[in-house]
Amino acid sequence: MTMPRGIMSGNRTRLLAVVCVGIMAIFIVRLFYLQVIDHETYVSLANQEQLKRLVIPAARGEIYAMDAETPVKLVLNETVYTVFVDPQVVTKPKEVIETIRSVAGGNARDDLEKLVGKKDSRYQIVATKVTRKQAELTKKHKLAGLGFQATSQRVYPEAQLAAQTLGFVNAEDKGQYGVEGYLNDRLTGEDGVLQSVTDVSNVPLTIGRHNINQPAKNGDNIVLTIDRNIQSYTEKALADGLARTGATNGSAIIMDPQTGKILAMANLPTYQPAEFTKVTDAEAFNNGVVTRPYEAGSVFKTFTVSTGLDTGVIQPNSTYVNTDSIKVEDRVISNAARGHTGTITIQDALNYSLNTGMVTIAQRLGDGSQITKGARDTIYRYYHDKFGLGELTGVEVSGESAGRVISPEEEGGNAVQYATMVFGQGLDVTMVQVAAGFSAMVNGGTYYSPTVIGGVMDSNGTLKPAPIKPAREGIITQDTSTKLRQMTHEARQLFPPGDRPGYYIGGKTGTSQTLDANGKYRFDQTIGTYLGFGGSEESSKYVIMVQVSGKNMNLEGNIHAKPIFTDISNWMLDYMKLQPKG
Amino acid sequence: MRTAAVSSRTANASVGNARRHRPDYQIVLFMGLLMMLGLIVMYAIGPQRANVLNNSFGTDYTNTYFFIKQTVSLLLALGAFVAMAAIPYRIFRDNAIKILWAGFIACAVLAVAGWLHLGIAQESLGATRWFNLGPLGSLQPAEFLKFGMLLFAAGFLGMRAQQGLINDLHKTLIPTGAVVLAAIIFVIGIQEDMGTGLALIAILVAMLVAAGVRLQTLGMVGLIGLGLMVLMIVIAPHRVERITTFLQGDTTNLSDGSNYHIIHAKIAIGSGGFLGVGIGNSIQATGYLPEAINDSVFAIMGETFGFVGLVVIILLFTALLLRLINVADHLEDMRLRLIVVGVFGWLGAHVILNIAAMIGVFPLTGITLPLLSFGGTSMIFIAAALGLAFQLSRYTNFTSRVKETGYEDSRSRRRVGRSRHASSRSY
Repeated sequence: MTMPRGIMSGNRTRLLAVVCVGIMAIFIVRLFYLQVIDHETYVSLANQEQLKRLVIPAARGEIYAMDAETPVKLVLNETVYTVFVDPQVVTKPKEVIETIRSVAGGNARDDLEKLVGKKDSRYQIVATKVTRKQAELTKKHKLAGLGFQATSQRVYPEAQLAAQTLGFVNAEDKGQYGVEGYLNDRLTGEDGVLQSVTDVSNVPLTIGRHNINQPAKNGDNIVLTIDRNIQSYTEKALADGLARTGATNGSAIIMDPQTGKILAMANLPTYQPAEFTKVTDAEAFNNGVVTRPYEAGSVFKTFTVSTGLDTGVIQPNSTYVNTDSIKVEDRVISNAARGHTGTITIQDALNYSLNTGMVTIAQRLGDGSQITKGARDTIYRYYHDKFGLGELTGVEVSGESAGRVISPEEEGGNAVQYATMVFGQGLDVTMVQVAAGFSAMVNGGTYYSPTVIGGVMDSNGTLKPAPIKPAREGIITQDTSTKLRQMTHEARQLFPPGDRPGYYIGGKTGTSQTLDANGKYRFDQTIGTYLGFGGSEESSKYVIMVQVSGKNMNLEGNIHAKPIFTDISNWMLDYMKLQPKG
Repeated sequence: MRTAAVSSRTANASVGNARRHRPDYQIVLFMGLLMMLGLIVMYAIGPQRANVLNNSFGTDYTNTYFFIKQTVSLLLALGAFVAMAAIPYRIFRDNAIKILWAGFIACAVLAVAGWLHLGIAQESLGATRWFNLGPLGSLQPAEFLKFGMLLFAAGFLGMRAQQGLINDLHKTLIPTGAVVLAAIIFVIGIQEDMGTGLALIAILVAMLVAAGVRLQTLGMVGLIGLGLMVLMIVIAPHRVERITTFLQGDTTNLSDGSNYHIIHAKIAIGSGGFLGVGIGNSIQATGYLPEAINDSVFAIMGETFGFVGLVVIILLFTALLLRLINVADHLEDMRLRLIVVGVFGWLGAHVILNIAAMIGVFPLTGITLPLLSFGGTSMIFIAAALGLAFQLSRYTNFTSRVKETGYEDSRSRRRVGRSRHASSRSY
């Protein structure tokens, strides 16, 4: 029994205690270093992986049309889901594949087995555009490794209606063409920001000091001036007209001349915004009424007559001697319709669409025999400054073209040029420019900028009207307006058009030659146009402009465009519940 | 059988010196405080943990699952503590060899079951460490082995120390080494559980130190142990990886997979700062830090309670460990003293290895933090060990050390030496 006394007296246990306390002391020093001295380093490392900025997407504004007095949705948002899998987490691949295939159907990818089997990947999209209902059905199966991502897609309850005025939203959520393109920023709104600490699977947590929650500002809900019924009928009438005439292309615009509001714009061929990816010819996206300038032809004579009346150089019954041709400098200008020779009135010239009458007005704006610089300045002032031709109208549809009206200051703005401009050649204008200018002619002389925006639908569902655009009042006198209406009314009645009795309808035909590749006029391809108004003698309620064309086709205003006008016009009288007179 | 006869005789003699008295309630106090802290953290991060698991594996844990399970574990652990404090220590002392055998057999059965891929052997990460007991949970037989080894080695080394043969190569060191080697083969070799193996070694080393083995001999043992460790590391590649990860040090690169665990433990601790982010505000527990409620709970506590909290936790562990040393110090029977020293080595090894890995000063060993980590087996066995130490704290003699300087004959203590509590009553 010999045990060293030191052992029993506890040297050795004390050694253990010292070692233990020593190690613990080292730990505390190390912890002080980690938690106090190096604290910031680790906080930044932690933030680097924990702090995430999430974008709260702003809901894109929806687009309404008018149903007479009530706004109705023409474009709305629908939440759809993208389904993805994390192949590393999936435990029952067979069940996952079966579920997705049975629930998502055609929205599921074809090669699900391959996608779910990609064990080296953590994110594989297995179905897109799955509805909320389908997503909920899938979630019910509680399968590990399945995730859902909500996205918004545009839905068009009225299919192709007003397609080119609406435009569409592309895969990057950017508006293209139409109102979607023009008002993209307003429709998009402002995304919100959620800066938050998240857990390892990016789910935001409520803890942490650096959290930011800035809510999204949703895009404006735009209410168009387009009336869905008028739009619908216009599209139908245009399609019928094309079918009747064999024309391949057609455009139409209906405006309220008293406000500048565009009630309908139609172009054929058109497309379905929901299926914009299937369109092969991008031209179908364009709203030709605002994007495609052309030589409007004889409908333009109304502008020349207005200018003549307003400056006082002519009256409807002013006469001139028609020889079916007129010489301007070295050029001879002839009439298309021949035989109305002799001393005739300006009204006759308008009735039979005689170019010589228009050149005569231009000459009278000068010294009586020449289209002087002064005459050209006057014409330009009326066309461009007053009626807004050759200038962007500011209509809220993407891709508007300004067209071109050559000013007398320019090299080409000579007498010969102006002699053709007065009957609608040698200038490029869009239908919306013509319709807006013509509206001013028939409303007593006030130019309203054409618009498709009626207002904004606020969150309570009440329509807040858009601010009224500045109008140019008195660009022609009331007297000019009255006379012009009377003259176009007469011109229309020359060939009984089939208007319903008791209304005051007027209009002017136009048949424009087109240019070939070398800039020469072709004789085998013309565009038929009709421009007119309708309503009562006291007030014009609508302006309609119709245009039909086709490759290598001679289409005439009188024969091909006018019946479409008449069709729409007669329907409008009913729709607007206008009371016939007498 | 001669051993047993000798041991029982000496035991009676020395225990007779210190009458049974009031135990050291500080052991209960510190253990209880640590358990409470563990429970609070479990309550705070349990929902996050459940959420992470539910999201990643489609499981269906409720928010209170981990809290309730931990509460149940704690109650079982307290039961084990009370049982071990109440069942007379002689039973364990006298049956040490049987308990050790039971541990070995359990490990062997597990090894065979794992080899045959039987359902009761629960395999994870390539190693079979657990018995799956179905609804009763799971059981780690290595803990049993550890406990058996503790009792056996204390009895054996204590006896040899009292015989003055502690430094005898053939009678003491070689037999001890053989038994330890057998245990190591099971735990580190077959179960690939480096942490438990190191804890086993720590228990033995602490006992050898306390039993008075010459320091030169200890140095030799240390060298042999180091050689064995290198061998173990080389035969199991995942350990090499852990070591290299550790040696690369502070390459604080978030995208490095093998570094991930250590770096996130340090991020959790470091971002906790001086006072911590507060209960329920842990972010690393939401899935960034692996094993957030088990092996990494210290890091989560660092994030939650900050430097102050961790220092308190370390101080609580240190206080508990020093209480054990204090108890051991005043136990006159070397065999009993070594039991308490073994408990000290067990607890100390777990605490030190776990914390060292979390703060990046030692490679990861996959060892739990006693009393705080989620998990039943480890908690129950540690509590049981503490319960035994608690029982032994009734037999300390606080006047012995003073006496020894004056009296040559240890027998004279019986007359002069009184237990602290006996004397305190006389005031």
